[in-house]
Amino acid sequence: MSMFSGFQFRKISTPIHNLDPRIKFIFVIVIFAVAIMFNEFLVLVVLFFAHIPIVLVAKVQREWIRSMRGAAFLATIIFVTNLVFSYIYGGYQLAPWILENAIALTLRFVVLVESFSIFFLTTSPDHLGLALEQSHIPYEFCFAFTTAVRFVPVLAEEAQTIMDAQKARGLELEKGNFLKRIRNYIPILIPLIVSAIRRSLELAEAMESKAWGAIKKRTNLYELKVRKGDYILITLTIVMLIIAVYVRLYLSIPSLTSLISH
Amino acid sequence: MPIIETKDLTYTYQGATKPSIREVSIKIEKGEFVILTGPSGCGKTTLCRCFNGLIPHFYTGTLNGTINVANLDVTKHQIHELARHVGFVFQNPENQLFALSVEKDVAFALENLGTPRAEMQERIEWALKAVGAYELRERAPHELSGGQQQRVAIASVLAMQPNVMILDEPTSFLDPLTAKKIFEVIAELNEQLGITVILVEHRLDLTAQYADHVIIMDEGKVVLDGNPRDIFNSEEARLIGVGIPKATRLFQILKEDGINIKSVPISSAEAAKALRRILKHD
Ligand SMILES: Nc1ncnc2c1ncn2[C@@H]1O[C@H](COP(=O)(O)OP(=O)(O)OP(=O)(O)O)[C@@H](O)[C@H]1O
Ligand SMILES: [Mg+2]
Repeated sequence: MSMFSGFQFRKISTPIHNLDPRIKFIFVIVIFAVAIMFNEFLVLVVLFFAHIPIVLVAKVQREWIRSMRGAAFLATIIFVTNLVFSYIYGGYQLAPWILENAIALTLRFVVLVESFSIFFLTTSPDHLGLALEQSHIPYEFCFAFTTAVRFVPVLAEEAQTIMDAQKARGLELEKGNFLKRIRNYIPILIPLIVSAIRRSLELAEAMESKAWGAIKKRTNLYELKVRKGDYILITLTIVMLIIAVYVRLYLSIPSLTSLISH
Repeated sequence: MPIIETKDLTYTYQGATKPSIREVSIKIEKGEFVILTGPSGCGKTTLCRCFNGLIPHFYTGTLNGTINVANLDVTKHQIHELARHVGFVFQNPENQLFALSVEKDVAFALENLGTPRAEMQERIEWALKAVGAYELRERAPHELSGGQQQRVAIASVLAMQPNVMILDEPTSFLDPLTAKKIFEVIAELNEQLGITVILVEHRLDLTAQYADHVIIMDEGKVVLDGNPRDIFNSEEARLIGVGIPKATRLFQILKEDGINIKSVPISSAEAAKALRRILKHD
């Protein structure tokens, strides 16, 4: 759960928050691509630290740290597995480059989590829905997306209420072995599902009453506009991609181990 | 020419064994404030669903009789066509707000109808101001109290500028004071904008004073239909178990004791006035 709390959006206004989500998304995808292209420690370290100014401008340092801490567990697993496998693969010898390689691959994962987390931390779900809409994705999907986000806190609260009610009637959640514990949750899930279905019927009724589907091309209260900041970001993104491709194709990057040993 | 007219309207839900409303024949005039009441399960919600076409288009089943709303035959026009004339505010405010901000929610119906952006902004501002929720426009629905949510729900319907507004127990999730404020908002819309209001409500103490027309249902049938004073004062209304206004009940009890108040009071303010007059006489 803690890894996901690093994705929770908080409503504030900063230059990063005000960027067009579509362009931010392209940026994330390019970061992704670059991180996949390289497995050299030096590049990934640069990528990792390149995010920090963004985090500071967006004023999401606390959330960012939380998401990094959330990623730590999986990162450790990746690190250990990599280390163990390259150790076995490399003929049971622990060379420094093995360590560097394992760190690099772990960093790659961390960079992916980092850029995704920053995207969600600085993009309001509303903007995201709007971006989906303006990317010519059918409105039904965009609506389903924003409505799902809208009802997450409502359903969470409801689950808590049902849980309290069932506990008050003597339901013991923490009792028994693993299977029994899962079964303990049935008295919570069933009322939750029933109520969600009833809720969705009421929602449908209200939507119909508000002229849902009246015309094919509905209008939109908001419009995403590409502004100066967006042009800067897209230019940076393209430059970054070009440099990355060039470096990959024509240059070789030294490893940290070789730099040190020289 | 009534804005809503039904003749012998009978409806059975899909799979139900008996009709939920039976031979309902009513007329509602333009600009009226109608209170629709009756015991739980008597078919009030079902009747309201007929007014905006949810029955027979969303709820299938068998509908007999005729129903015309704003000169449209409900059976022949889609819900979204009727939505331009009839707005529906539901009981649970939470489930009629789907967007992530108040403003966007009020825009929902307008967006569906293809309203141009500039006009949409004007109407949103107007509707939110009319219900006293303009300051909330950038908030998220789940951050609002029940009363605020219901105000927004009313604004989201009002933005369509309907001729008729149906409100199905809009305050049953709210405390009496908040409910009172919501009723005041509704009464204002009726008085100042001339919107025909159909209010389904049990709390008659708080609402009877606004009504021009009262319809009481029981077991799917309309049993009383007419002027609020006559109806609340009638023996039948009391026997059906409608919670008639306490002021009216007080009047009836005083009458049995031989104290006569000339006109039937339906609100505590009216009852107080009449009592003051009597006390001065003595
Ligand atoms: N969707 C449905 N499907 C089948 N039967 C229904 C449905 N909705 C209501 N009914 C039935 O129709 C009858 C009238 O219900 P309705 O909801 O109209 O009553 P109501 O007067 O609004 O009651 P309340 O005051 O409790 O809201 C009830 O017997 C109910 O069980
Ligand atoms: Mg009802």
